[in-house]
Amino acid sequence: MAKYLLKRLFYLLLTLFIVITITFFLMKLLPGTPLNNQAKLSKSQIAVIYQQYGLDKPVWQQYLSYLGNILHGNFGTSFQFSDQPVSYLISSRIGASLQLGFQAIIVGVPIGTLIGAIGAVKKNTWVDTTTTIISILGISIPSFVLAVLFQYFFGVKLHWFPIANWGSFIFTVLPTLALAVSPLAESARFMRTEMVDVMNSDYIELAKAKGLTKIGIIYHHALRNSLIPLLTVVGPLAVGIMTGSMVVENIFSIPGIGELFVKSVLTNDYPTIMGLTIVYSVMLMVVLLITDIIYSLVDPRIRLTDKG
Amino acid sequence: MNLRATVTFGVVALFGTTLLTACGSNSANTTKATHKTVNVQIASSLTTMDISKSTDVVSAQTLNNTNEGLLKFGKNSSLTPALAKSWHTANNGKQYIYNLRPAKWSNGDEVTAQDFVYSWRRTVDPKTASQYAYLFDNIQNATKINAGKLAVNQLGVHAAGKYKLVVDLNHAQSYFNQLVANIQFYPQNERAVKKYGSKYGTTSQAMVYNGPFKLTGWNGTNDTWTMVKNPSYRAASSVRLNKVKYWTVKDPQTALSQYEAGKLDITNLSGSQVQQYTKNKDYVLRNSASTYYLQMNEKKQPFFKNVKARQALSLITNREQFVDKILKNGSTVANGVVPTKMQYRDGQDFATASADKQMTAYNEAKAKQLWKEALKESGKSSVSFDLLADDTPIGKNTTEYLQSQFEKLPGLKITNQNLPFKTRLTRESTGNFDMDISAWNADYPDASTFLDLFTTNNEYNNGKWSNKQYDQLMKTADGAEANDATKRWDTMLQANRLLTNQAGIVPIYQQAAPQLVKSNVKGVIYFPTGANWDYSKAYLTK
Repeated sequence: MAKYLLKRLFYLLLTLFIVITITFFLMKLLPGTPLNNQAKLSKSQIAVIYQQYGLDKPVWQQYLSYLGNILHGNFGTSFQFSDQPVSYLISSRIGASLQLGFQAIIVGVPIGTLIGAIGAVKKNTWVDTTTTIISILGISIPSFVLAVLFQYFFGVKLHWFPIANWGSFIFTVLPTLALAVSPLAESARFMRTEMVDVMNSDYIELAKAKGLTKIGIIYHHALRNSLIPLLTVVGPLAVGIMTGSMVVENIFSIPGIGELFVKSVLTNDYPTIMGLTIVYSVMLMVVLLITDIIYSLVDPRIRLTDKG
Repeated sequence: MNLRATVTFGVVALFGTTLLTACGSNSANTTKATHKTVNVQIASSLTTMDISKSTDVVSAQTLNNTNEGLLKFGKNSSLTPALAKSWHTANNGKQYIYNLRPAKWSNGDEVTAQDFVYSWRRTVDPKTASQYAYLFDNIQNATKINAGKLAVNQLGVHAAGKYKLVVDLNHAQSYFNQLVANIQFYPQNERAVKKYGSKYGTTSQAMVYNGPFKLTGWNGTNDTWTMVKNPSYRAASSVRLNKVKYWTVKDPQTALSQYEAGKLDITNLSGSQVQQYTKNKDYVLRNSASTYYLQMNEKKQPFFKNVKARQALSLITNREQFVDKILKNGSTVANGVVPTKMQYRDGQDFATASADKQMTAYNEAKAKQLWKEALKESGKSSVSFDLLADDTPIGKNTTEYLQSQFEKLPGLKITNQNLPFKTRLTRESTGNFDMDISAWNADYPDASTFLDLFTTNNEYNNGKWSNKQYDQLMKTADGAEANDATKRWDTMLQANRLLTNQAGIVPIYQQAAPQLVKSNVKGVIYFPTGANWDYSKAYLTK
């Protein structure tokens, strides 16, 4: 196990290095400058400012010095937020995104799993149809439509929850619900498909033949075996949601990193683009690693070794 | 299953539509603002409180209300004294002398003339990498210092004692005071800059204030912050609000809901919201000093050197129809590149006085005739051009509309290209376009901020239109007539008319800033350039 983890860690760092390198050079191909006032700066004025930021040097030199800096834990300062260290910018804004994403997964995945399982057990009945419709609607209705509907209905009309902004837990309810719909629907759909498969497999037939109760079969055999593939989807899904949804963060005025990422690309805020790319990649890779470890816990047939 | 799915979908769709329609008819549920607090919506985050590094209107307006300079803008961009109690020019308009009144920083230090010297030097210093250093270009040695060729202490500004500031200019500049009223010219407390070092201006604590308010509750990246009344402000007794609280709400619909729910006292309107609210009693239309115009690249497409071709494009553009039927966001027709409600003289609006209504009126017959002549004179039967603009919804509306209008001209084919803002800017500045929808917003309320752009050698004259008479007019305005406001005004009027008449660029529309303001909020001062807002005189009625 230790050896396996070391090896995975090595691959993780290698992948990260490749991601950083590719992003860095691609990013430099973006037209325009990172300067907010680009429209009004002359070429010579831009040159003066570039010199201060070392942006006048060849790209490979900038790349090497960036690598050197991040090895020393220095991620540079943002251009959008003048002089603000990128590490502070991200750390002070990622909390909101993580919290919302986490809550959305906690709400969405169990309910989705349950709905999917019920659908599979009651296959081809009205129950199945209803759950299928729910998951199709959940996938096809964009979160911003739901967000606006929630906002209007629960915020403006019923005054149950704040319409927007960030504060106590109550502020997180509506954005969490808006975000939870997609993981709910995804896991319901996935769970149903998997479970229908499992329910048709030989060992379930065997269990039935042995005379086990239906509840026992579903709980001990069908559910557990269907959960394994579900893990594959939920991991990356969780990362996607936890790194912030630009749309939902915008609608609910949440100080997260979703919108920051998009805006940093649009404004050529190089250090912020890089910082967020690194955060995003590390989170994704760590989650994938954790998923693999959980696999081995859920399914004893999977062993985390190098042999075979 | 099919029937069931259809019914369910239908119910959901109906539910959604009902809710969305209901949005429009919701009556305002106003809760009275308590404790003399005004809640203001703002569409983007506060990014810095460093005077030398501010580049956006959010930081500019926060700085303008928490700090004070020599002069400030009042209603209609009129200049009112702030820290300067009097001023005069000397040396034939090349020297400005300001006499300061006593004031204090929030750290207890006195505000002195030296604070201005320090602040201006800091901004011009290339090490600061200020993106607005160019506003100082006319101060002696500023450009050399910014290029790293001279030491900062060579800048043409010095303190003659504690309360006297002397500025030496390269040449007389009649609108220098209009520059000085911008936040970039505000003083900075050297002790605070040194104390906070690289953290200076990155949080509300790492900054000192000498203005009507002090900033609190801004950790550098959060989306709400509050300006509270500054007890050490020199005229603290005249400040009537206790707090101005800013809320970053990026989504217009959310902002409107928050306003309707009484959480906001001032909010911005955008897009289709504007039409919905024009008859509302809270509706206020603010004009921005920002004009959108069509630029034709004469270098890449010499066909545009033909004045008839350019005039045809101006005449075929139905500006009224475009702003009233397509944009519908409060924008107004531009009859020239200089925006209305920006610069006045003896009660006369520069833009109105110099409007060329004929060249900016829709005249299809004349446009077609001029276009045919232009084609004939160039020996062509058809031409095709790319039309560049932003990839925003408004940018796309603009290109689609102009394409449909322009293609009414015989033998003209237009291909639209909508690009991200910075890509468009790069294409413009490298001359890589045929036609382009460009915008300029004023740094200071003087027509020259627009008119200078189109002189032959100006770096921003991306269309490369060149007119000797125009160049001469602008040279006179900022040279021989720099100290004669009346003559200069007339000369610039002529220049603006000439630019529109020759269609050096084709003005299209002037941007607006429509808002909803609660009827109990009074005394907020708006001016269309720079920081836009002043809350120092604002108050609440019951």
